[in-house]
This record gives sequence, C-alpha cells and structure tokens, in this order.
Amino acid sequence: MKKLLVALLMVVMIVSAFAVKITIWTSEAQAPILTQLADEFKSIYGIDVEVVQVNFGDIKSKFLTAAPAGEGADIIVGAHDWVGELVANGLLEPIPVLPDKEQYLPTPIKAFTFNGQLYGIPYAFDGPALVYNKDYVEEPPKTFDELIELAKQIQEEYEGEVRGLVYDFKNFYFSSFAIFGYGGYVFGEKDGKINVKDIGLANEGAIKGLSLIKRLVDEGILESGDNYNVMDGLFKDGQAAMIINGPWAVTGWRQAGIDFGIAPIPQLEPGVDPKPFFGAQGFMVNAKSPNKLYAIEFLTKFIATKDIMYRIYLADPRVPSRKDLLPLVDDVTKAFAEFLGNYGLPMPNVPEMAGVWGAMGDALSKALDQGVPVEQALKEAVNTILATIK
Amino acid sequence: MKKFLKIVGWILLALFNAFSVWGALFLFQKGFYELSVTFFVLIVLIDYFIFNRKSYPFRYMIPAMILLFILVLYPIIFTIKTAFTNYGTGHIMTRQEVVDRLLTDPVYTYVPKDAKEYKYEVFVRFDGIEPTEDFKLLVITQNGEEYVMGDIKSVRMQAGQMLLGEADLEDVSTYDLIREDGKIIAIIEDGKTYNYFYSPEDPDTALNEVFFKSKIGFPILSKVEIIDLEGNRLSMRFSDDGTLRLKSIRHLYRLSLAEVIEKGKNVIKTVLVNDITNKPLLEENGTFYDFDESGEKVPIMGYISYVGSTNFVKIFTDPTISGPFTKIFLWNFTYAALSVLFTFAIGLSFALVLNNSALKGRSVYRTLLIIPWAIPAFISVLIWRNGFFNETYGIINKFIVNGILNKESIQWMTNPFWAKVAVLVVNTWLGFPYMMTVSLGALQSIPDELYEAASIDGASRYQSFWKITFPLLMTTVAPLLVGSFAFNFNNFVNIYLLTGGGPAIPNTSTPAGATDILISYTYKLAFEAGRGQDFGFASAISILIFFIVAGISFVNFRISGSFEEVNR
Repeated sequence: MKKLLVALLMVVMIVSAFAVKITIWTSEAQAPILTQLADEFKSIYGIDVEVVQVNFGDIKSKFLTAAPAGEGADIIVGAHDWVGELVANGLLEPIPVLPDKEQYLPTPIKAFTFNGQLYGIPYAFDGPALVYNKDYVEEPPKTFDELIELAKQIQEEYEGEVRGLVYDFKNFYFSSFAIFGYGGYVFGEKDGKINVKDIGLANEGAIKGLSLIKRLVDEGILESGDNYNVMDGLFKDGQAAMIINGPWAVTGWRQAGIDFGIAPIPQLEPGVDPKPFFGAQGFMVNAKSPNKLYAIEFLTKFIATKDIMYRIYLADPRVPSRKDLLPLVDDVTKAFAEFLGNYGLPMPNVPEMAGVWGAMGDALSKALDQGVPVEQALKEAVNTILATIK
Repeated sequence: MKKFLKIVGWILLALFNAFSVWGALFLFQKGFYELSVTFFVLIVLIDYFIFNRKSYPFRYMIPAMILLFILVLYPIIFTIKTAFTNYGTGHIMTRQEVVDRLLTDPVYTYVPKDAKEYKYEVFVRFDGIEPTEDFKLLVITQNGEEYVMGDIKSVRMQAGQMLLGEADLEDVSTYDLIREDGKIIAIIEDGKTYNYFYSPEDPDTALNEVFFKSKIGFPILSKVEIIDLEGNRLSMRFSDDGTLRLKSIRHLYRLSLAEVIEKGKNVIKTVLVNDITNKPLLEENGTFYDFDESGEKVPIMGYISYVGSTNFVKIFTDPTISGPFTKIFLWNFTYAALSVLFTFAIGLSFALVLNNSALKGRSVYRTLLIIPWAIPAFISVLIWRNGFFNETYGIINKFIVNGILNKESIQWMTNPFWAKVAVLVVNTWLGFPYMMTVSLGALQSIPDELYEAASIDGASRYQSFWKITFPLLMTTVAPLLVGSFAFNFNNFVNIYLLTGGGPAIPNTSTPAGATDILISYTYKLAFEAGRGQDFGFASAISILIFFIVAGISFVNFRISGSFEEVNR
C-alpha cells in the first residue's frame, strides 16, 4: 500500500500546480541562470519561482521601499554590505541551517554574518588584486619596493607612453589594502560584535599604510587624474603595465585582447601582507515574506548545493565561495580566490559604513592631492565619522 | 439623445465617486492617512464644482487640481509630517507592527533546554490516486499517547494570508481509525479517509517529504502553534538534517505588567518582557532594547516615532551642520547668482546675434546652440568631468594648459577655486540655451518702429540696446531670471555628478566640501553619513531650504519689480 503511494506521488509532483510563488530579485548577470534553475526547482517541488531582473544598484532601495509594506521579493541577490542596514530595519530572515557550512570559505560566511547570525548564502565574492600586462611585466613584483622600481623602469623605458602602475587610488575601497595591511581597521571587534565607536582609521598602521600610497604619488607613479575609468581605459589600450582591479573587469580585458596575469598585491614591506577589502554576493531572504520557509528551502536544499553553485559560476564567472569548487574554476578566478581568500577582509556590514566611504574619500584626497599631512587627514576623517554616528 | 448623455454622465460620476471613496477608505485602512485625506478632500471639491452652479467655471480646473493634490500638496504634507519623525534606517515600521512581530514572529521564539520533541505523522486525503492538501496531523507524545491536531484558528494575518495560527490537540479516539499491526494507517472523519503519508522518522515515506513540505509543512504547519494539554506550545522547526520536527517552543518576548520609571515617577505599564531573563525591554528613541549577559543594551528593532522638533533643533545645534553652514550658504548664493548672470549674458548675446536678419543660416546656428540643452545632463556632466577636467588626461589640461600654454596642470578637482570655476563653467554651458531661447522670443516681441524712431533721433546701436531693448526685455525675462535663480540654488545634479561637493576642506571634521551647496550637503548628511538613510532629518532640512529659497525669491521679485505689470 505504502509503496504504491510513493510510486504514484512521483507522477503527481510534476503535474501539480500551486498558488504559492517565490519571487527573486536579481541583476542581469545571474537572471538567466536563475530562471533556468527556477524551472528545475519547480519540476521537483512544484513551487513556482519567479526571477525578476532588477538593476543591481536599485535592488536594495527597491527592497527597502517594498518590503516594509509586506511586498517585495522573497529572495534578493545582493552584496553582503547591505546586511546591516536591512537587519536594522527588520527585513532579513536569518538562515537557520546552512548545509555543508564547512565547505565554504570562512570569509564570505563571515561577511554575511551579523550579530552572530547568518543572513545570506554567499555564492561568490570579489575584490582587487594586482593585474599585470604580460607584455611589460615578466615576473610580478613581490614587494612594494620591487613594484616601485619596476614601475619606474617601465615608465622610463617607454618614455611615459606606458604607465607602470595605475589604479583608482583615491577610492578607499582600492587603497584599503595598505591601511589594513599595516594594522589599521574600520571598526573594532569585541567578542564577534562590531563596536562602531572604536575606529582604527587613524592609528599607527593606518598612517603607515596611507604614507605608502603617498610615496607612490610622490615618486611620480600615480597621477592626480587617475580614477577607475582612466585605469580601465589605459589597461585596455595596453598603456598600463600594472593595475589593481577585481574579477568583474576580466571580460573587458579579454575582449580588448590583453595578455594579462593576476598576482597578489605585493607585500607592503617584506613580511607585511596587504589586506584588501572584498565584497561577497549572496542570496538573502525577506523576513516579512509569508513564504520565507519556501525561500529558505529553495536556497539551502537547492541553490547551496555544489552542482548548482558550479552552474551559477559557469553562467556568471565570479570567485565562488565554496571551497570544493575552487579546483574546478579557471586560472584567473583561482588566482583571485587564493589572494582574496587568504588576505581579504570583508567590508564591514554595519549600517554605519555609510559615513565611512565619504569621510575616507575626503581624507585620501586631502592627503594625496592637497598636501595635507597624512596623520591630520586621517584624524579629521575619524572625527567626521564619529560626529555623524550617534 | 441629450438626456441619454446626461444619464451616462451621472452614471460615470457615480462610478467615479464610488471608486474614489473606496480608494480613500482602502488607503485609510492600509495606514496611508495623509493620502486618504487628500483623496477625500479632492472628491468633495470635485463634487462641489459639479453640483454647484456658481462654481461652474472651476470644473475645467479639475484635471489640474487632481495633479496639484497628488503631485504637489500630498508630498508637501508628507514631507512636513516626516520632518517630525525619526523615519530612516532602523525606523521604518510602525510600533504596532514591531510589537506584533516581537510577539508572534517565529524568529523571536526559542527552543528551551528542557524542550520536548514530539513525533508526528501526516495523513492526507487522496483524490483518486493524487494526494491533496487536505490533511490530518497525528501527534505522538513521548509516552506514546496519540492526538490529532484540531482546527486552525488564525491569530495574525497579513494581506489576507495567515502568518500565525493556533490549534488544539484532540483525543485520537474521537476519530474512526484503521489500524494495521497496531499502527494507525488511516483516519476517517465525516466519511473522508485520510491515509498515512509522511513521518520524518519513517524512511519509507522520505520520498513524500517534498510534497509534505511544499504543500502542507511550509504553507500551513510552519505557521501554526499547537497547544498540548499541558499548555506547551509545539511548532515545526528545521532540524539539522533539514527535516521539519515538532518541538516545544517558547516565545522570547511576552506582554506583562511591570513597574517602570517614567519621567521620574514609577508607573505600572504593559511592557514587553524577555522570557529568558525576565527583564522588561527598554524603549528609547523609538527603539526596543534588550539586555545581554553583561547587562549591556542591545537594539532589537526600531519603529517610526514622533520626535517633535528634534530634527530642527539638530540643524541649529549640531556643529557638523551649523559650523560650515555660513560658508556653504555664501557659496550657494554666489553659485546661483553667477550661474544666472553668466547664462543670461551669454544667452542674450547669442540671441542678439541670431535676431539679426542679416545673418545667414540662422536656423542652423540656433539648432546647434540648443544642443547643450537637449543632451541629458547626466551624460554631458560626466563627459565634462572625465573628458575635459581630468587633471592628467583631460583635454583642457593636456592640450591647452600643458600643450599650448606650456603651463602646469590646473588642479580642476582638487583646488577649491578651480573646482568652483569648473562647476560654473559646466552650469553655464548647460544653462545658456534656455536663456537664449527665452531672450529670442522676447526680442521678437519688441516692435521695430521703436528702433526706427531711435535711429531717426540719432541714437547709436549701444544706446538703443540699453534704452530700448534691455528695459523691454527685462519686463518679460526678469521673472524667469528669478525662477532660474531658485532652480540653480537647488541644482543638485550638476554638483553631485561633477565634483560630488569636493574637494574636501582641510582642517574640518565635517563632510562639507568646497563646492557643496545646501542641497548636496544635505544629501551627504542624510544619506551618506551616520547609519545611511535619515528621511526625517532630510525632510527637516528641505523645509528649511524651502524657506530660504522662498525668502530670496520674494526679495528678488520685489527688487526686480517683476509682476508689477500684472498687478496693475
């Protein structure tokens, strides 16, 4: 009798349709593969999953508007640094059990953890590493002294037509590696809890780190007009030997026909490793959704499995956050994964980060462009951040 | 025929009224009180205009009035209301909603140490050979007693869907049962047979787990708390292997009477109490706080609360705001005034040239000169920023300053003076076509006879411009100049896209930059500082800016004597 029921059920599952529907908001890179996966999920579970493509920059703001009113997606695909703000607003549901948690790199998991609870399932992460053009650089530099020497050498050799190193150095995101490498930090942590009153952006390490960047400017390697667009343009035109950028731009370099290699950002000085910021991408569940258990089931039982994560990687090649996928990815991705997985720091996910970007951007511009002493610029930034955190 | 049309008209009006009243009530029910009141006022006014003979002419204004109410008046009311709240990050739900969630949301439940786990078996009714969602739940206690879950009563709803329900346990003997080897394989009620279908302990039914979860477990059982005979609450929780298990749970927060100190007095009040520590929650600044082991307060959830004039007081007392205010205000004023001056001077010059009928190909020039106006500012400002003003690679520095003049690069984005120049240059480029178009129209309305008479009297071209053209032009253009000033005073897009308010000012600890105007600085404070979004504060400042702009415009109108013609 029982066996018969089981056999019959197999037929039933495929036929049955049900009113409940999970909605996912995602950006264009993952939308096609998720739509495909949604169909597969439906054929097993009989639950409709609707994938809606939303501009990446609009997902959080749309969610913040819709979710409090009991609307909005059941699942959003986004960046880990949204977590603090969304949790503070009571809009994210913790993920109770993540299967094979030990199979994930610890840093992306930490990135999605807030107040000791996991609020998202990371599928990928990305951050900057040293990218070099193999036409100019045979062996990537191991330390910053080597890097400076090599950059100067290239600049001399090509009489200024080729830049040794270009990157968006006035952007805190890209220059953080030096500040954190020497021991600076954004917010202090005690017992796994972030203390936003303890800001380590003007400590000895931070000053040392920013001074290193200033040295690059003073030695004529970085120019005051450098920004992300300049860097990207020069590298694609073959006019930059080395840049500091992330895996999101790989497709562009390939299309431009650049023979490039990925290396760790050089040691700041022998024995001192750089620690760049990185961001993790993942799936988060709407706490006000009436379907949140479906959503959690969809994520933990289906999306978070190795095979599905691999297929997401193939469709949207970013550095996967599952360790067991790393042997399967291409060399470029692997190089980013090794560097960021070992040295990267997740951007703090507390809502107080909002004020840090602007203040630190101002500090970098004061110290690197306007000749304000490094220490003073950083102290002013810390005071600005403290003044606006109430 | 006429009568017929009239009847149709009445029917349409009745439908319109019914629909609008329903809409207003719906909005009221949903908590959008301001919008609802706006709707009601609108309906009453529209009906009044239609039924009252005296107000007959007003009915032609109805479409404009609808737009006025919804697009202008409602946002103003909403802004004023928001200015007195703490609406922003951490405060986006109502207090009622927060309390509701703390009391009922499964996230705020816990499984106590001495928790009991009950076995359960699911029985479903079959439609032919297909299982349906009609089910019975058999609950087996630890000492083997068997119960059936009774009817589910809804406790909390959201948009017509049950969020939390409760159910009792009924003795299994009230049902007809079919047993096989002592085990229940079917339950019969009112002639309907429910067959044994799933149990998490029974590996034979593992294949049915998916159906159980997706049709019964998630949509229904996960939202139900079953109360057993001893008063324990049982609920479905994920276990580590991903199956749903029935466990006894407790709510982390409960309502209770407690003595709290309020305004120096001890008051007995209903408060939320933590079930584990038995401590009441602290309610402060629109946030509920709990206490951790070390007695430190931990924010749990905030809600929108009225904070009185706090946001306004903050504007005047907070040194990050009042400190750079004068500096920003002066630059803001200069920026708007110079923008008007430059755009008008250049626009008028072009207009005078184009107005000369001796000029060949006037329409071609006119089209070309309007282009800056036609390109979206979002695009052109970014081209200016990256293509023209970049210190190293921008066209101005690379080809003109370094190349032709052979001088050092101008620090467009990092020197406060040059940054201000850059902002004005771009704003002038964006604004002159408007002034040109306006002036062209005004010039064409000046009668030629005046110039003829002037030339007979021997006036020079210079004289006839200043004595005839300019005064006549100003009567039509002056109000537009005042409008243009108000527009440029709040020209956020240009500043934000070009310099972002930068460069930063050394020796300060505020986010204010050298080219920041009031509105861009407000944006930084309200959305790029602190905890992210602070709508309450942003609303307060925008009200203040409104008064500033309104005041300046009023003075401008007085001085320029605009509208005098109209008033006479």
